[in-house]
Amino acid sequence: MHELAICESIVEAVLKEMRTISPPPRRLLRTRVAVGVLRQIVPEYLAFAYEELTKGTAAEGSALELIHLPVAATCRRCGWQGEKFEDIFQCKECGSGNVMITGGTELYLESLEVEQDEQPQHQGLS
Amino acid sequence: MNSRSIKVYRDLMGANAEWAGKTRKLLEKKKIVMTNLIGSPGCGKTRLLESLATRAADGMRFAVLEGDVETTQDAERLAALNVEVRQLLTGGACHLEAKLVHHALKDLPLDALDFVFVENVGNLVCPAEFDIGETAKIAVLSVAEGEDKPVKYPLLFREAKAVLVTKTDLLPHLQFDMGSCIGFIRQVNPDIRILKVSALSGEGVDEWIRWMLQLRSR
Repeated sequence: MHELAICESIVEAVLKEMRTISPPPRRLLRTRVAVGVLRQIVPEYLAFAYEELTKGTAAEGSALELIHLPVAATCRRCGWQGEKFEDIFQCKECGSGNVMITGGTELYLESLEVEQDEQPQHQGLS
Repeated sequence: MNSRSIKVYRDLMGANAEWAGKTRKLLEKKKIVMTNLIGSPGCGKTRLLESLATRAADGMRFAVLEGDVETTQDAERLAALNVEVRQLLTGGACHLEAKLVHHALKDLPLDALDFVFVENVGNLVCPAEFDIGETAKIAVLSVAEGEDKPVKYPLLFREAKAVLVTKTDLLPHLQFDMGSCIGFIRQVNPDIRILKVSALSGEGVDEWIRWMLQLRSR
């Protein structure tokens, strides 16, 4: 259940970002978080934690969307590069275990989708 | 009313990484090696530390930070052997985070230490995710758990610099294939040092100590 601790960082980051958005958004619709599959996050646990932790905050009612990033690797023996879904840590080309993991441990807040009032039209520009 | 998407790209492990960085600086300044012991509940982490304490470990000056969800039982076991120990209680969380470890570390008599062992909360998943500023992660796997754990929980075995295969004294009573276990470990991490140990018989404990002394001279 590391999802709760991770979700605390997500909500903290979201609220911090929301305060910097100008003009201030009416409400938050969606939070997108990029997660490497090696992070071993269970989406349902994270969604539950998100719903609980956003209650009573400016992010309440918003949806949490995960962007899953695959394991990516480079083989140190044959130079193969690519994304790996099965047989992780073994080269798809030569079978060597001597691979360098280059992706799959990411964890970052990717974007926020907010609802805003219509921008006033600029006058005299057209 | 309209909606717009705002790109953010903010690292979510940032705060933890900051504390881990502070710990690394402190360890470097004090020339201390800190290892992060990670394994299932009951795999023998505390028992191994007890066996280190009773061997006095060739003048190895060490302290222990004990991570648990509840109770001070593990710290009491080590304190009974005159080990400098602090108990870290996570109150429900399944892993230790860098900030808590940093504060506990600062509470230790660092000038009188060469090694700090952090015994993480018993768990093969979450502790592997959180950098606590350690010099090396050590995976602990007892032979009673089965050969296939390294491929079932690959991240830990991928991140660790060494794996201690513990309770080898139990082997005559189990259907545990050491060869296939080592194969699974190597599949996940070809560079990892594999040490077979038994705190009960003492097998492999000296080899483990030698490996840790090498970490210090690096």
